[in-house]
Amino acid sequence: MPRTRVPAEPRPAHVAAARSNRRRRVVVAAVAVAVLLLVAAPLVLNAYGLRVLSAVFTIAVVAQGINLMAGYTGYPAFGNVVFYGLGGYATAILMGKAGWPFAAAAAAAVLLAATLVLVIGPPLLRLKGHYYAIATLGLNEAMREVVANSTPLTGGGMGFSLPMPEGGPLFNAVRFYYLLLAAMVAATWVVWEFDRRRLGLGCRAIRDNEAKAEASGLHTTRYKTAAWTLSAAMTAGVGAIQAWWLTYIDPPSMFDMALSVKAFVILLLGGAGTVLGPVAGAFVVELLANLTWSRLLNWHLGAMGLLIMAIVLLFPDGFGAALRPGGWLGRHLQGWRPRAGSEAPDRKDSP
Amino acid sequence: MLTLQIVLSGILLGGLYACMAIGFSVIWGVTGLINLAHGSMILIGAYVTWWLHTATGVDPFLTLPVSAALLFGFGVALQRVLMERVIRSSLLMTLVLTFGLNLLLVNILLQLFSADVRAVTMPYSSASLEIGGLRLTWTRILVFAIALALTAALHLFMSRTRTGHAIRAVAQNPRAAATLGIDVRRVRAVAFGIGAALAGAAGTLMAALYSFSPISGEVLTLKSFVIVLLGGLGSMGGAIVAAVVLGVCENLVSGLGAPGLRDAVSFAMLLAILLTRPRGLFGANHAADARAR
Repeated sequence: MPRTRVPAEPRPAHVAAARSNRRRRVVVAAVAVAVLLLVAAPLVLNAYGLRVLSAVFTIAVVAQGINLMAGYTGYPAFGNVVFYGLGGYATAILMGKAGWPFAAAAAAAVLLAATLVLVIGPPLLRLKGHYYAIATLGLNEAMREVVANSTPLTGGGMGFSLPMPEGGPLFNAVRFYYLLLAAMVAATWVVWEFDRRRLGLGCRAIRDNEAKAEASGLHTTRYKTAAWTLSAAMTAGVGAIQAWWLTYIDPPSMFDMALSVKAFVILLLGGAGTVLGPVAGAFVVELLANLTWSRLLNWHLGAMGLLIMAIVLLFPDGFGAALRPGGWLGRHLQGWRPRAGSEAPDRKDSP
Repeated sequence: MLTLQIVLSGILLGGLYACMAIGFSVIWGVTGLINLAHGSMILIGAYVTWWLHTATGVDPFLTLPVSAALLFGFGVALQRVLMERVIRSSLLMTLVLTFGLNLLLVNILLQLFSADVRAVTMPYSSASLEIGGLRLTWTRILVFAIALALTAALHLFMSRTRTGHAIRAVAQNPRAAATLGIDVRRVRAVAFGIGAALAGAAGTLMAALYSFSPISGEVLTLKSFVIVLLGGLGSMGGAIVAAVVLGVCENLVSGLGAPGLRDAVSFAMLLAILLTRPRGLFGANHAADARAR
């Protein structure tokens, strides 16, 4: 008797669910292992290694902040570094002038940044595309000018010195390593919660089609402002930690647009609108940047610029998209050109 | 009288600002790129003038064709090699790309000319014209006149020549322009070149008036942006008026008490314009509208 071939049935739902569950378990396990490794890292690393990893954690938090706005909500917060500077300066002034302990000063700095967004968010978030991006850039420049010109309070262009953190250099390297690691884990946790909750869903709807989201009854201004508040709070928090660690801050280093742009590059590389992408991107970009740093004393700015340009040109849709079939390699062979489809959705030139 | 003097020199400063901003506006209007390296391109023009002046002693105003031609070539090459690749991708990519380019240019300038503040002084730098108690240096007047002449020349080019018409067509609707047989890529390269050449010319004019260093570019970019916003994208007359407004406001703020807040004026204006009149005072924003559709 000839055997008849049984036509393939569509995969039952419970199998697909089991697959996605298994995949999730793998991701959770990988994240847990990575966090454990990072927690154990100070046992083997020297102060320099700790410093490099701390820089990675810092930029990862800034990238997560921008991820909430640019990745999930579709608002390119180009000058988001303003909250880093604000958090740093608020902490510095509260510790240096008012004698507050670090934890209280940092908490106040985070609250200040969040409050600022509650005030300026609703009007600024009426702008879109280029106009929003440049408005945030202008906000950063304006804040830097104000700080640089309020000499009695901020030390102006001469900078501001904070009280030295007590303890030896290695002790402090370890302490700030753990503080910044905690900040990165916390920021990523916030993004994860954001991603799976109503707030994140609403913001993604705004990103995909703001008019439709609004027509469906979503209070878009409230959602956008909430996302920006979270973004500002995490950025200010990491600014506060950095200010204490640096112990000397000045306007150009705290309101440095290069930090924002680096975070954007990380986002492009790691994948915007994902929970773990920005963290992965931060490791790649910051470690690469550190390699160029230590070798090229006079050219580190230019090397950074070249790195940024190379990443934009080679991975226009992120590293993940380049690895997928039909991604980077396929396009590269056909003569490189950005996909026409990558034009949307954030190219909305009308304000 | 002092106020009048301040206002008058603010108006003259506006000429220089208009020259900077119109270059920025041409690039933005035609290619859709917000060129964050615009300030550095202005500085390249300024350094060309400074270098030629210190090396040969030639009058800085005579170096204008050199810096403009050099930057024209640079702009065309940049558009052809780099910008054309991202022109259709998202706005973020273009901002990040031009920011990276800006870092590279700043680094090159720092290596070539060091971080020292440079200035060009001519024997007639302090010679001035006096009318009824008002003093205006000839340099300022000359800068204003040259800037206006360049703007007028650009206006004539855009309205009278075939290439000018093609540029305006591409700014309005690249697809329709392509169906009419216009080589859109070439036109965009020429437009970027013209914008860069104006930046170079503005750099020469700036070198004749002010001191500069490799890191002063960022502020120039933002000022150009503010002026274009205020005047309305694609409106040359609007840009001149906006540039004069900015020049006068800056001079008033720094002349009447707060010189440190001079640059903050443009940022404050930027936020105020974006929040109240995002289409500029003159609202000639059809190019951006066409692209948004």
